[in-house]
Amino acid sequence: MAETETPDQEAAAAPPQFPLPPLDMSWAKVPTERPPKPVIGPEGFTLKLADAGAYAWAPDHWPYENDTPRGSHPSTDMGLAAPYTIYDKLEVWADNAADLYELAIREQWKPATEISWGTIEPLPDHIEASIDQIVSNISEQAYNSNQVLMGWLKEISYGYHEVKLYLATQVFDHARHVEAFRKRALSNGGGLGVQTPGFFNRTVYASFKFTELIVYMNIIRTSFLLALCEQGNKIGRSQADRQLFDRTANDLRRHMAYGIEHLRHYLLMGNDTKRRNVRTWLERGEIMMAADLKRDKPLREATILALGDTVQKGKAALLELRQAQLLKYTRALEAATYTGHDKYVTQSLREACDTP
Amino acid sequence: MQSKILEELRKESGGEDLDLSWLDAPAAERGLRVAPAKRGLTLEDISTSSYGDIPAGTRNQSGRMRGAGARSDAQNMSTHWNTKAASWSESAMLLYEEAVQRQWSSATDIPWAEMPELPDELELAMSQLCTFLTQVEFIAGDVPGKYAPNISGEYFEIGLFLASQIMDEARHLDVFRKRALANGIGLLQAGPGALGLLLAQDLTEVASTLHLVGEGFVQSMFRMGEMFAQSEVDKRMFRLSAQDESRHVAFGVMHMKYVMETQPERRDEIHTYLDRMEGNLGIGSTQAGLTGGGDTGEALAILLGGGTSEPQLREGYMKLLSIRKRQVNEYMHRLEVVGLGDRRQRMNPMMAMLLDPPRN
Repeated sequence: MAETETPDQEAAAAPPQFPLPPLDMSWAKVPTERPPKPVIGPEGFTLKLADAGAYAWAPDHWPYENDTPRGSHPSTDMGLAAPYTIYDKLEVWADNAADLYELAIREQWKPATEISWGTIEPLPDHIEASIDQIVSNISEQAYNSNQVLMGWLKEISYGYHEVKLYLATQVFDHARHVEAFRKRALSNGGGLGVQTPGFFNRTVYASFKFTELIVYMNIIRTSFLLALCEQGNKIGRSQADRQLFDRTANDLRRHMAYGIEHLRHYLLMGNDTKRRNVRTWLERGEIMMAADLKRDKPLREATILALGDTVQKGKAALLELRQAQLLKYTRALEAATYTGHDKYVTQSLREACDTP
Repeated sequence: MQSKILEELRKESGGEDLDLSWLDAPAAERGLRVAPAKRGLTLEDISTSSYGDIPAGTRNQSGRMRGAGARSDAQNMSTHWNTKAASWSESAMLLYEEAVQRQWSSATDIPWAEMPELPDELELAMSQLCTFLTQVEFIAGDVPGKYAPNISGEYFEIGLFLASQIMDEARHLDVFRKRALANGIGLLQAGPGALGLLLAQDLTEVASTLHLVGEGFVQSMFRMGEMFAQSEVDKRMFRLSAQDESRHVAFGVMHMKYVMETQPERRDEIHTYLDRMEGNLGIGSTQAGLTGGGDTGEALAILLGGGTSEPQLREGYMKLLSIRKRQVNEYMHRLEVVGLGDRRQRMNPMMAMLLDPPRN
C-alpha cells in the first residue's frame, strides 16, 4: 500500500526566498452553486446524495467539448475540442445509473477468494467437459462485452458522469466474469472448450450507436445469460459452481436494469425514428443470436449433457432453458415500454428457442 | 474421452443426433486441475501449461480466448493487435488481482461524517483542488478504454487490468466530486482539462504519456497528501487514491520495460512522446504542469501553507516546490527502471533543474 509521506526535510532544503506570485483566487469567486451539507445515510455518502440541487440536473444536451465537470464553472480556455460523439442525454441516460453505480460497488465480489474453489469435486469426464464448454462460452462473451464497452467510454461526454461511472462498474463486472469462469474451466481436470461461432460477438463489436450496443449487450445477451445463470443450480455440481452462477446473475440483473431504463428513456424521449431504430436493432440482434445458437454444436450438446441425467431429460431441460431465455428477453422489452414484441420475435430466434 | 461413454450417449433415446466430436477429440488442452493457493485462485495460478503460453505474435482475430479450441468458421474482428509487445505488461495479472482485492467505496470507506469545519479559504482551496481532480481523473479511464477493443483474447489479462483501472478512475472522479460537494462549497473553476491524453495512438504511447507522466505525477502528489490534506477525511481519500494510482503506474512501467527490452528501436519515438508531455514542443499546457500550476497550484499553495497570508503562501509555495521536486525525481526513477535513463539529458530544463544528481 502506498502510504502518504511528509517530506519535511525536502521542504526545509528548498530555496529559501523567491518572488511570490500575486494572490489571485478568482477561482474562489466563480458563480457556482453552494450545495447543502449532506446528512450521511446508512448507505454512506452516495452519488445521489452528493449531487444535490442543480448538481443533479443533467441537461438534454451537454454543451462543453471537454472534460468540464457538471456544475463547475467552465474555463474560458477549453483546450482541445474533445473527440466525444455523444452529447445528447437521450443517447445514454438512465434514471437509475447513479443508484446502480453505488449498488455495484457494494456488491462487488472477488473470484479469487470468495468462491469456494475447494468444494469442486471430480466429475465424470463428459460432465466436466460439458460444464467447461458452458463456462468457456460465458467467459468469451464476457470478454467481448468487456472490451467493446470499454471502447465506448471515450465517446460519452462529461455531462452524464453518472452513466460513465455506472458503465465503469459494468466493465469491471465483465472482467470478473471473464476470469471467474475461466478459472472454473481450469480447476477440475478439464480445460477450455471450443470458441463460439462469434456472430453475436461481432454484432456487438460493430455497433454504430451506443443504444444499439446496449440493446445487443444489456437486453439480448444479458437476458440469455441471466436466464442461464438462474438455472446454474441445475448446471453446477458444487457450491463453487452455484456461487459463480448466483453472483454473476446478481451482476447481470444490474446490467439489465440499466439496459431497460436506458431503452425506456430512449423510447419515451425519442421520436418514431428512434422506435424504428430499436426494431431494426432487435431484428439484427435476434438473427445473430439465433445464428450462434443454431451453429454452436458443442454448446448445445454440452448444455444437454450438463442439464440432464439422460439425453432425453437434457433435451427437455434445454428446451425449458431456451424458453426461459426468450421469456426473459421479451419481458425486458416490456419493462422498457417496447410492448408486444413476443409476437414479433424473428423466425430464426423463435426456431432456435422452440427446437433447440 | 472414453469412447465407451460416447457410444452409450449416442445410443440413448434422443442421442442419435449428437455429434460429440468436441468431446471425442477436444480442441483445447484438458486435464488442468489448478487449486487455490494462499491468495485464492488467481490469474497467475491458471496461467499454466499451454494456457500460460503467451504468444509473441498471433493471427487470432476471432475473439477466441487464449487456449480455447478454434473454429474454422469463426467470425473475424480484424481489429486486434497481433503482437505481444503492443500491450503486454508482466505485472498485469498480479495488479489485476490486487485491484480486485483492494476495491474501496467512496460512499462508505471515507469517514464523511467526521468532516470538520475548515476556515473558508482552506475549504475553498480544497474544493478547487477537487474540482481539478474530478475533471481529469476519468480521462485516465477513457484513454485505456480507447484501446481495449484492440486487445486480442490471447492477451486478455491486459484487458482485465485496464477494466480495473477504469473502475478505479470512476471511483476517483466520484470521490473528488463528493469531496467538493461535501462541505458546503461545491465545484469551482474548471480548467482546460486533460483531453490531450486521448491523442495517444497506441498503448505504448498511453503508457508513456498517461502512466509514466500523468498518473505518475498525480501519484507522487497523492502520496504527499498528508501535506495538504486538512483532515482525516482528506488524508484517507488521498491515501486510498494513491494506492490505486500505484497499480496504474506499475502497469505502465512494466509495459514500457517490456517494450524497451523487445523493441529497442522505439526508443527515440518514445522520447518524442515525453518531449510533448514535458512541454518541449512548445505546447503550453502539459499533464505534468497541470498538477502544479495555475488555479490548482494556487489552491495547493494555500492548503500547503495553511492560509492566504504572505508567510503562509510563502511556506505553501515552498512545499509545492518540494512536491514538484518529488514528482520530477520519481518520474526520472521510473524512466531509469524502464531503460530510458538517457532522458536525464533530454528533459525539459524547467524540470531538469529539480532533478537530484544521478545515483551511481
